[in-house]
Amino acid sequence: MEAAIVALAGSVIALVFNALRPAGLAMVARSPYQTLVPCPEPGGPVEAIDAGNPEIFSPRSFLIDARSREAFGRHHLTEAVNVPYDWLDPVPEEILSKLAHSIAASAATRVVVYGDGGRPDSGEHLGKEISGRGIKNVTFIRGGAPAALRSNSGEKSSLAPEDE
Amino acid sequence: MTTARIAAWSAVPMRWYLGVLFIGACIHKISDPASFALDIATYDILPLAAINLVAITLPWIELFTGVMLIIGWRARSASLLVAAMMFVFLAALSIALSRGLDMSCGCFAAQGAEDDPISRMTLLRDVAWLSLALFVFSFDRGLAGLDRWIERRHP
Repeated sequence: MEAAIVALAGSVIALVFNALRPAGLAMVARSPYQTLVPCPEPGGPVEAIDAGNPEIFSPRSFLIDARSREAFGRHHLTEAVNVPYDWLDPVPEEILSKLAHSIAASAATRVVVYGDGGRPDSGEHLGKEISGRGIKNVTFIRGGAPAALRSNSGEKSSLAPEDE
Repeated sequence: MTTARIAAWSAVPMRWYLGVLFIGACIHKISDPASFALDIATYDILPLAAINLVAITLPWIELFTGVMLIIGWRARSASLLVAAMMFVFLAALSIALSRGLDMSCGCFAAQGAEDDPISRMTLLRDVAWLSLALFVFSFDRGLAGLDRWIERRHP
């Protein structure tokens, strides 16, 4: 009984306080809340590697840039192919198929993805997605393109504007 | 010292701990009810009409119970309320986990799912706090509390 009284008293004071405060909340929300809760993704395993890892530029690595076409156009690691990561839609089947063919045709034994290096990182997410859809031995560069740029600023050939 | 007395004294630090915990948990919810309402909405359990009402009132009930537990005034009732709230939080968490939602629990300062994602550990933590609340409810005898002081002044 006492507990109910406490709950009631607390509620009444809360409502009065809310009514008096300038930024009080409406008693009933006028429109539904926009909640964006990602559902669990069928991602595959990916391994993080440091931007300074020399294996990134090995001929056995297939580089994928997960950033937007504009960011890719400004600069990208040489030999990288651009597969812009879409946070809402999965990678289209035809692009994934082309990617799989390109990887198979190359001498690469592993795929290195890099993204914007944000939190969350588009490179990591793209890596998980393509790994979950059958492409094996996928890694992503920790810190994404900014880390790769910092780490390889001395190597002109590693980071090249698209129009060079 | 009898077992009952040991249990009664053991309940005192538990009471204080829960009190501090609940006051700590309610501060950001009271200062920013809109964020808390969004946290509640993310669970996708309550109807839209109830979300704001809960976001406004629940933190104040947490504040009341927290203060009552610390000062030892009607501590058993406060611990019963805490247990009831923990039970509700556990149910909400279980539903969210069973749906595989990748979200923050919204228990303390507003955090993103990246910083404080719900997990089985969150569930275990809440079970531990529920157990503490039930212990306080069962064994607290008002030691080191306002109730005992009032009782002595006005027997």
